[in-house]
Amino acid sequence: MKEFVVPGQQIARRGRLENSFTEKEGTYSKVLGLYDEHEIVPLEGTWKANVGDSVVGIVTMARSSVCMIDIQSFVRGLEVLRKYENPPALGSVVSGIVRDVENRRTVVLERVSVLRDGVLMKVKPAKVPRLIGKSNTMINQISELTGVRIIVGMNGLVWIRGERSALAMAAITRICEEAHVPGLTMRIREMLEKGRNDIENKESA
Amino acid sequence: MKSNKPQLIVNGKRTDGRDFDELRSPINIKAGVIENADGSSYIEWGNNKIIVAVYGPKEAMPKHMMDPTKAIIKCRYSMSPFSNLSEHGRSGPSRRSTEISKVIKEVFENVVFLNEFPGSEIDIFIEVLQGDGGTRAAGITAASVALASAGIPMRDLVYAVSVGRLDDELAIDLNMIEDNYSDSDMPMAIAPRNNEVLLLQMDGGLSMEQLSKGMSMVINAGKEISKKQTDALKETYESVSRKYEGR
Repeated sequence: MKEFVVPGQQIARRGRLENSFTEKEGTYSKVLGLYDEHEIVPLEGTWKANVGDSVVGIVTMARSSVCMIDIQSFVRGLEVLRKYENPPALGSVVSGIVRDVENRRTVVLERVSVLRDGVLMKVKPAKVPRLIGKSNTMINQISELTGVRIIVGMNGLVWIRGERSALAMAAITRICEEAHVPGLTMRIREMLEKGRNDIENKESA
Repeated sequence: MKSNKPQLIVNGKRTDGRDFDELRSPINIKAGVIENADGSSYIEWGNNKIIVAVYGPKEAMPKHMMDPTKAIIKCRYSMSPFSNLSEHGRSGPSRRSTEISKVIKEVFENVVFLNEFPGSEIDIFIEVLQGDGGTRAAGITAASVALASAGIPMRDLVYAVSVGRLDDELAIDLNMIEDNYSDSDMPMAIAPRNNEVLLLQMDGGLSMEQLSKGMSMVINAGKEISKKQTDALKETYESVSRKYEGR
């Protein structure tokens, strides 16, 4: 059973743990979260950049050598362009992978590619791990059942392209609301199958 | 000149019928009331009604205020023009609200893990919709719920409450009439884990004995406030879980 913890609440464990701090031999939670013996899963909070994270952002400045990407975080996104490479247009939506975090304030991205068409959606970064699911189960389920293409940024921006993106967006909104309630994958499957059938019935009628 | 001070103690009770160590009721806190904010809360504490929004951590602006080693906190306490019968009949900062914003900012600088977000800022907006004395205490109590609901890492969930002296009796959680005519008024903010004092202001005078008695009254009453804060944070998630219980 997971225990609900608030900042400053003592947890029954000695030693270091993510999202906790120790003081006088006691271990306390730093955040609002759910605690079981192995980890504290934060319920809210911003994204902290790690090398290898995939992100989605919007280009805010493009020069010949560097382009700035708004990644909706307190850290700045930056792409260093190769020589003679055309920078992406201002305002275009891009996805990339974090290559490096400089001074904990600037994120250097690699493998940046422009995402065309589609819709951009904002979710809480703390809910992104649940949205992806264990070994991508949740996100694959949404793509399979709705036939849309989804790119999830760890920073909380989600890009969706496809005919049934409205259904996918409704599912993503629901995942973020109910991320802490067990049995979510099944509920989303039910919801998507029902939504798909409704659309198909309407089309055939 | 004869003082027009009203009688604050009647038959051993306070003007609103409370005991000396009794908090106002109700104390209702609700977390996550503003959709667009990163964290928010709404508190009804007696006749006080306060809404708090927290934004951030985001990139610090203006640039010269940025600290490359840690986050900065900005706090804006403001009384709405309609919040009170007297004095606060205008919006915008006043001498009083500037001071309260500053002390509240310093309370939270001591509990937030600022070094986790270098170069960023965290904004706290405290808007008093209806004021009845003790708004800075209620504001701090609500703001720590809002910060927690924004997922900002903190050492503790701070609460605040005031204690005052009515003639020779100490009383907790003064309302507006008591606040205006009391002999002494002392708002305190406490980090309950180690009972660290984060804010202590005093109008009027207290003797050493009265001060230490007042502090223990605050810490006793704080247990109830802390519980309300935790319950408010829990409720946001449990209300969703309840929909699926028994399935």
